[in-house]
Amino acid sequence: MITLRSVSKSFKNIKALENVSFNIEKGEIFGILGPNGAGKSTIVNILNTLVKPDKGDVIIDGVNIKDDGETIKLIMGVVPQEIALYEELSAYENMMFWGGLYDIPKQDLKKNIYKTLEIVDLVNRKDDRIKTFSGGMKRRINIACSLLHNPKILVLDEPTVGVDPQNRNHIFEVIERLNHEGMTIIYTTHYLEEAERFCDNIAIIDVGHIIAQGTLKELRQISDVKDLLTINLADADSEIISRIISENPLFRFDSTSNTLKVECRNIGNDTSVIINQIQNSGGVIEKIYTQGTNLEAIYLKLTGKELRD
Amino acid sequence: MLKLFKKDLVLFLHDQRSVILTFLLPVILITLFAFAYGSIGAFNGRSEPVKLLVTDLDKTTSSQEIIFKIDSLEDIITVVSDSINSKELVIKGKYACALIIYKGFQDSLEYGNSFPIELVYDRSREMEISILQQNLISTIMSSTSGIMIKKNIEEYLKELFPDDENDISENIYGAVTKNGRNKQAIKWTPIVGIKNDTKLGLIQAVAGTAILMLLFSVAGVGTSILEEKENGTINRLLYSPLKGSTILYSKMLFAFFISILQLTAMFLFAWLILRMDMSVNIPGLIMMIISTAFAVSSLGIFLAAVAKTRQQAQNLSTIIILVMSAIGGSMIPLFIMPSILQKIALLSVNYWGIQGFYDLFWRVLPLEEILPKILILMSIGFVMTLASIQLFKKRIMNL
Repeated sequence: MITLRSVSKSFKNIKALENVSFNIEKGEIFGILGPNGAGKSTIVNILNTLVKPDKGDVIIDGVNIKDDGETIKLIMGVVPQEIALYEELSAYENMMFWGGLYDIPKQDLKKNIYKTLEIVDLVNRKDDRIKTFSGGMKRRINIACSLLHNPKILVLDEPTVGVDPQNRNHIFEVIERLNHEGMTIIYTTHYLEEAERFCDNIAIIDVGHIIAQGTLKELRQISDVKDLLTINLADADSEIISRIISENPLFRFDSTSNTLKVECRNIGNDTSVIINQIQNSGGVIEKIYTQGTNLEAIYLKLTGKELRD
Repeated sequence: MLKLFKKDLVLFLHDQRSVILTFLLPVILITLFAFAYGSIGAFNGRSEPVKLLVTDLDKTTSSQEIIFKIDSLEDIITVVSDSINSKELVIKGKYACALIIYKGFQDSLEYGNSFPIELVYDRSREMEISILQQNLISTIMSSTSGIMIKKNIEEYLKELFPDDENDISENIYGAVTKNGRNKQAIKWTPIVGIKNDTKLGLIQAVAGTAILMLLFSVAGVGTSILEEKENGTINRLLYSPLKGSTILYSKMLFAFFISILQLTAMFLFAWLILRMDMSVNIPGLIMMIISTAFAVSSLGIFLAAVAKTRQQAQNLSTIIILVMSAIGGSMIPLFIMPSILQKIALLSVNYWGIQGFYDLFWRVLPLEEILPKILILMSIGFVMTLASIQLFKKRIMNL
């Protein structure tokens, strides 16, 4: 559906993107993960033909953006990072205006507006001015305004910034519903848990470079980050600890907290084996904590820094 | 483009503050300025008469004759007072001036000495004094010169015919002044501002204020582009199939439309409420409104294009509009400014607009005479528009 091949873009002396390549299949949710200034918005603007790449090719739905930028705009909906709405207009007036820019017949546009208002669950607030909406409701209308021309591809640029958990969940449900109906979604975020929740594929970008990309499983393999099992022992007898470590040299003992830690490839399969090893060595397990490999750990491993740094 | 225009119009109408600033505030200011400048350029008989305190310390037939003649003038109402009280009343601001005829006035006339007459006045009210000046000088001069001529003839005849007591001197005086009695030496005839009933002060108030307020309204439209950039709606518009130039042109079209609407509303108000005669040159008025609206709206957009942020645009607009309006004659009538400022005024859009409206309503010139000012306004508009397009393409549309 979307292919970027060796795309580079500079603004004056600043390299915003360098040799960025990825491929997005139809109907998938593709996450672009990176800190502020990493190049996420530049990718969004290139996909929307607003910014021309200095080098490389961008093919969307079989069309090279260099050849036919107008068609690309018609098949793509963009939810900007800002709440780009007119506060003095009602939700309905905003939607009539934004949808009207796509030359949709008025009756069809009205139908689309009601359908979209239903999706974002704001039908009963359609006549209220945007300035009376909460931040989360504004975000939902912000999304709704990008859906009115029935785009094949929806680009969401940090759609949950400053949104409370309840509205955030609502937005997630909207995204999942749209994806379920077959829409291809590009989701830029710096919230790891969001990318982890519903992105089929994730590209990790930093300082204009794609550091890694793939499914969460693939990223785990690339980064070589493992799950972590932490076991509290009832009695930290040194002889027992020695026996356990000789049984499995991957165990690390923390004497201050009387805990054993071990990294494992698959926490689901490996836990029972580890418990057996400890019990066979005479250890008495008090508590077990599991920490699966998350995107945060992968990001940290790959970039050497926390995402919110 | 029409969709964007309609959106801007709906937003404008939703924003009560903008509507009030665009229409109600100018109307209030025009009314205030119309009262303030009301008497400027008033033609004889149509302005409020000026009250003149008169103190007659001479109390002779000559002094009484002069007071009677002044009192008979339409533009002046005399109020008799004693000399100390007269000066106090002027000092306290109750009257603009007082005419004091000192004792010995008649004797001075008879002996050909300088007249002991004094006009004491408040310098801050020179506008009223200037209205008095013309009538007062001509009345006093015509009255005193008659008395002096008569006295001179009598003295001359007495020297020639000391024993003759007939009324020959009266006859000679009658013959000498036969064709000139009660006539002024110079005929004072206003030739500008007499073709219609509109006072210059009212034209100044309407045109000056309308252009000043128009600049503020249009600067507001201009800064709304920067506001749209800051809140992300410009980017969102660019994500749509619209072209960047369409977004810019629609803003310009809206600014132009609001300018025409505001100017038309101001002149309608001046016509219906302030009784300003609009019928003098309708095609000229339409062209002046269009050209002024174009020049002012382009300038407003240009000011927004120069600035990088909305705050910067607002500050810059306020400073430039106030300075330009001050030197261009929107705040203070140009004809009371020093000549150097009158030359600098040529650089302001206010000047060309106000002068064009003077030509229309005061000088009542035909369209071809007003055309140069219309062309200058249009040229200002074109230059500002071209500059704005370049600046906006670079600064606003460049993501």
